[in-house]
Amino acid sequence: MKNLADHLFDIFENSVNANADMVMIKISFLEGVFYCSITDNGVGITGEEVLDPFVTSRKTRRVGLGLPLLKKAAEDTGGYLKIRRVNRSGGTNLEFEMNMSHIDAKPFGNLPQTFADIYSAWPDIDLKLYVIKKNKQKKVLDFHEMRGEETLGLSDFIASRRRILNIMQKEVEALNIY
Amino acid sequence: MKNLDELKIMREKVKRDLQLRAGEHRVKVVVGMGSCGIAAGARDTMNEFLELIEKNKKTDVIVTASGCFGFCAQEPMIHVYVEDKKPVTYRNVDKEAAQEIFNNHILNNKIVEKYLFSKGKK
Repeated sequence: MKNLADHLFDIFENSVNANADMVMIKISFLEGVFYCSITDNGVGITGEEVLDPFVTSRKTRRVGLGLPLLKKAAEDTGGYLKIRRVNRSGGTNLEFEMNMSHIDAKPFGNLPQTFADIYSAWPDIDLKLYVIKKNKQKKVLDFHEMRGEETLGLSDFIASRRRILNIMQKEVEALNIY
Repeated sequence: MKNLDELKIMREKVKRDLQLRAGEHRVKVVVGMGSCGIAAGARDTMNEFLELIEKNKKTDVIVTASGCFGFCAQEPMIHVYVEDKKPVTYRNVDKEAAQEIFNNHILNNKIVEKYLFSKGKK
């Protein structure tokens, strides 16, 4: 993982693998600190074993590196990563903070592209993205709504991707994400 | 108001377009999007396929993602499912490979040996 955009895409894939169909992401960027919270309605975790790189539920390989790598990247900058089960029936909430002005911080990468790619890669998953500014949160993306407006055609799909890129480009600039 | 013929043409166009996102399609490309795939650049691979589909207006080809295929060192990997044929798996699929696979395999049904990983297995 070269940058934060890759990490975000990667942990989103965890939610998909956990059979989630709704994922809510909240981000903020204040005084050099990037905060991100991801909540899904997937099967949920049972403990913190997901943070152990040598534990994985998958059968295709024996190690699971996505989360441990992100945890390390966050902690390297003096940040943190927390993961918990939302309730008994499941769901997972993951929160992390990264000090982007720290010398060991990874670059942001292309965040708008990450969201456009999520839209393309998993057409069945509803993502809602909120940006938190001054204790107020604003909904920026709602894939469910966007898909409702599409008539399912190729040209509409391409237009939606462009729209996501445009919206995110503006948000990223407004947040001073470089 | 459009006349009947124009509406018919529109309907045909939308019908063709529909195939990309709805169930019906001739070719399905599945890109491995595990941590390993992403780190190896699988997103670029996926976007290259999407661009090629757009450029060639191939609405009967769809691209989706799946998790790790289990051979992380050879990522980015893809499965290509052509209707009525056994699936083919490719390895080390960068942008260049994506173009070759699109032009040969997807458009002309010729398997690209250079990036071939396996045939017939899922």
